Amino acid sequence: MWLRELILSFCQWCNNSFFGHGIRDSRWLFPFVEIFHLIGLGVLGGTLLVLNLRLLGIGFKGEKTSDLSRDVRPWMIGSLMVMVVSGFLLFSTEAVKMFGNWAFRAKMSFLLLAILYTFTIYRWVLRADESRLAPVWRISAALLSLLLWSGVGFGGRAIGFVTTSASSVSASTP
Amino acid sequence: MWFDSFLQWLANTQFSTVIRESTWGEPIIESMHVLTLTLFLGFAILLDLRLLGVCLTRKRASEVLAQFNPWLFGGFAMMVISGALLFSADPVSFYNTHPPFFKIKMIMLVLAGLNVLIFNLGIGRKVTEWDLSPKTPTTAKVAGAVSIILWVLIVAAGRAIAYVLPPP
Repeated sequence: MWLRELILSFCQWCNNSFFGHGIRDSRWLFPFVEIFHLIGLGVLGGTLLVLNLRLLGIGFKGEKTSDLSRDVRPWMIGSLMVMVVSGFLLFSTEAVKMFGNWAFRAKMSFLLLAILYTFTIYRWVLRADESRLAPVWRISAALLSLLLWSGVGFGGRAIGFVTTSASSVSASTP
Repeated sequence: MWFDSFLQWLANTQFSTVIRESTWGEPIIESMHVLTLTLFLGFAILLDLRLLGVCLTRKRASEVLAQFNPWLFGGFAMMVISGALLFSADPVSFYNTHPPFFKIKMIMLVLAGLNVLIFNLGIGRKVTEWDLSPKTPTTAKVAGAVSIILWVLIVAAGRAIAYVLPPP
């Protein structure tokens, strides 16, 4: 399939790029980039937990959800960007291997869904007038957010534990 | 030294052996340790950013402190429990890494604790006096900044430990 070929050649380009090479060949660059990924995880996860706990009605009451959202939004978007950039750099060191890793594929699928959801429906629920939106919708929105982002997190954890068979990738390599 | 024999004793307990030799024990505990960063590190940094006056400024600092505290305690408890379990799987190697990242991490954890203590005994006690103004006092800002720096270094040291531990 052409899309598969396109993604695979992108992975090969990443593998051979100067950053892919550079990080792979350095003893300390990989963990150094990982630290940014972990700090980003903390801040992004923290902001999402604050918003979801608020939507669930468990914590952070006393302020309108829309105000709370506006307060943490720059930190949410900033940390997401740190995670995407650092994650891309980590990916580029073994991009072709990641291509055949089902945990990585699951993580990327969850990530795509999570981002799409967060910046559309979820954003709308956060901004909605609380008196006009039934609690069931706020709770559902929070649970879906937690589900999608947990998928990203657990998928990310699983990547390291999944061993890819080299043949599944090389079979389709041109 | 008595501490070395304690570590050796711990390594030989059935408890330690079970974690070390089980297939899924360490990955599960490690995942818990890493993903709880969202709860503990995330909330700690958000609180520090509030003390710096750059996040959640609409809310009073005292209110933010009160609302974050139970989650911070819960998150910290999970971090300590999962961390202690990981440590007890291979205590001798953890304690003796070269470079000594584990010892560095423990020292910085103590410093982070002291920072919280100093804040609570000092400017934190008077939080209700200053949290009406949108600007936080310099001492509160210093506490927030020191806290962020220490937690970033603690994460870095923690990550580094895994790189210098001998392979299982």
